[in-house]
Amino acid sequence: MMAPPIGISGIAYVLPPTRRSLGELHALGELESEPRMLARLGFAEVAVADEETPYDLALAAAWSLLRERSITPASIDALLYCGTPAVAFARAGSAADAAGQLATTRRFQYPATRLQYDLDLDRASVLALDQAACTSLFAGVRIARSLIAAGEAQRVLCVSSEFFPNCAGREAIYNCTADAAVALLVEAGAERNRIVASSHVTKGYYWDGDALRNEIVASYFPTARHVIAQTLNSAHWSPNDVTWVIPHNVSVRSWEILLGLTGIARERLWCRNISRLGHTLAGDNFINLRDALDDGNVRPGDRLLLFSYGFGAHWTALAVEA
Amino acid sequence: MTSGRSILLTGATGLLGRQVLARLLADDPLLHVYVLVRDLARWSVASVALEDVRRVVPVQGDLRVPELGLAPNDHALLCRKLSAIVHLAADTTFSNSLDRAREVNTTGTRCVLELGDECASAIHVAHVSTAFVAGRCTGVIAEDPSGGSDGWVNAYEQSKYEAEQLVRADAASWVIFRPSTIVCDGIDGRVTQVNAVHRALRLLYGGLVAMMPGVAGSTIDVVTTAYVADAIARLALAESAHGRTVHLCAGEGALPLVELLDVTYERWARDPDWRRRGIARPALAELATYALFEQTVEDVADASLKRITRALSHFVPQLALPKRFVTTNADTLLGHPAPAVREFWPAMLDRMVSTRVDALARSAA
Repeated sequence: MMAPPIGISGIAYVLPPTRRSLGELHALGELESEPRMLARLGFAEVAVADEETPYDLALAAAWSLLRERSITPASIDALLYCGTPAVAFARAGSAADAAGQLATTRRFQYPATRLQYDLDLDRASVLALDQAACTSLFAGVRIARSLIAAGEAQRVLCVSSEFFPNCAGREAIYNCTADAAVALLVEAGAERNRIVASSHVTKGYYWDGDALRNEIVASYFPTARHVIAQTLNSAHWSPNDVTWVIPHNVSVRSWEILLGLTGIARERLWCRNISRLGHTLAGDNFINLRDALDDGNVRPGDRLLLFSYGFGAHWTALAVEA
Repeated sequence: MTSGRSILLTGATGLLGRQVLARLLADDPLLHVYVLVRDLARWSVASVALEDVRRVVPVQGDLRVPELGLAPNDHALLCRKLSAIVHLAADTTFSNSLDRAREVNTTGTRCVLELGDECASAIHVAHVSTAFVAGRCTGVIAEDPSGGSDGWVNAYEQSKYEAEQLVRADAASWVIFRPSTIVCDGIDGRVTQVNAVHRALRLLYGGLVAMMPGVAGSTIDVVTTAYVADAIARLALAESAHGRTVHLCAGEGALPLVELLDVTYERWARDPDWRRRGIARPALAELATYALFEQTVEDVADASLKRITRALSHFVPQLALPKRFVTTNADTLLGHPAPAVREFWPAMLDRMVSTRVDALARSAA
């Protein structure tokens, strides 16, 4: 008997209300590159959390998902919180909050358990994922899929909320960064967004991203190509079978290069949000998937490739049948 | 120098030039060689290892100067004595502008030919060119005057192509040698002279190369100094080679790029410390994708990454322009083909690692 499909049956996201253009970020001294250069790479503006905490947005995204999908909280078997717990309750823009969160017993106040309480997820076992940076939500989906496949859960709520660090500006390796929270429902028997294959590579050698910056830039493309090829191979898809590439919102230019290496046509890249939202760290691919579904660009049966890279250093991809 | 044949050799202070000179002297006990050198002090160092230096006379000159910058006495002497010129000198800097590359490679060749025209007897010119005068042409590359019809990857290639044309048009008698890229001394893999290939290997070893141009069918055609020097010494003055264009290339013995990368990374991975870094092999990219990558590095990357990418950009596009060099003339005239790349590439890698790739390449940077 074939196992029921496991898929992503719901996606919700929340952006902070403040938006800043490249020019505004430049004026605030938050960019390393010239705004016109970042514009050439495909960026225009980003959502920035000024006062909110990562937890505020995580809670809002999860509520939104449960409400939209009319999900009974008690039906959630597991909650995976994907993000940096140590600063989850620190107001964005407040270095003092962040320091207090890290350096006092407040470090043991965990957003994952609070989220379980605030959402009334009484039955949900709780796990938190950190240290996967922009791939943390992919990691959540992979673990959720495994829990379901192992029969330990039927319905898993994955929530990510990542803000770019205080005092780190708004640029990371030529990409303009943004803040956002995303909630996903991964469940058995999902009618949409069936997970066909996944692949993940971690290279510990590159753990010190500041010291090995050029090496990381050099390793990015060949390793990304490898992970994508491995994912397509596992899905028994050829590059031509991919209907849409649902990207992480790094520069359009880097995507054009990567697609050139993988043999996937440039037209398959769903990249509308790169200029509109910037790189929201872990949330990009799933925000994009939600918007592409809402816009009607992605249709049932379409074959989707989601790929992301996490600083630190992880490469990850999912093959999803819409 | 009163008896025997007298020739002029340019480029005698370089690694290949020294090897050719030694072989010429060894092959013909009556041969006398004038060597054109810019810097007599450099020549005195380069000539230390020569066994029969009495048959070699340095004359100071410069290929970039009219009449080779020769003193009148030297000019007159050469015009009176010479029966052949072996023109080996070249500026092999891939990053040169076309004007700069032409100074030595094209204009210099013209000056050499003019000297030949002024000599008392008809002068035979053995001109050392490069297999990459073929430029952007792909497929089977014949040992004939064609080349460059699709343009060139760098100014070095173009300037050498132009020089070939001059030789064919002006020299009374000629042979043109087109060596492929020389990467090591002999099949033992020893590297005396570091070049762009070794610098690229250093970057690969350090995990600093994201991608390389390459397509199905791309091969690496490289040769040893010993093979090229031996071929030039044997054929430069041989009547059997007159009027021939001779590819001194691995030809059928070239290694497919993918196999070469397999061999290279397998060899390096024998070092556990290197292996555990998990350095990815560079992705192979079509030229358009590679150009986009280069442009992006130029637009946004830091100075170090720009320097790395620029260093590669002057020659790696050849990897996406697959060629198979015909070597019929060379094989027939020499009686054997060049050593296959797989005969010396692994040994060269081993030697580079044992002498530290980093140190070797940095010393030449």
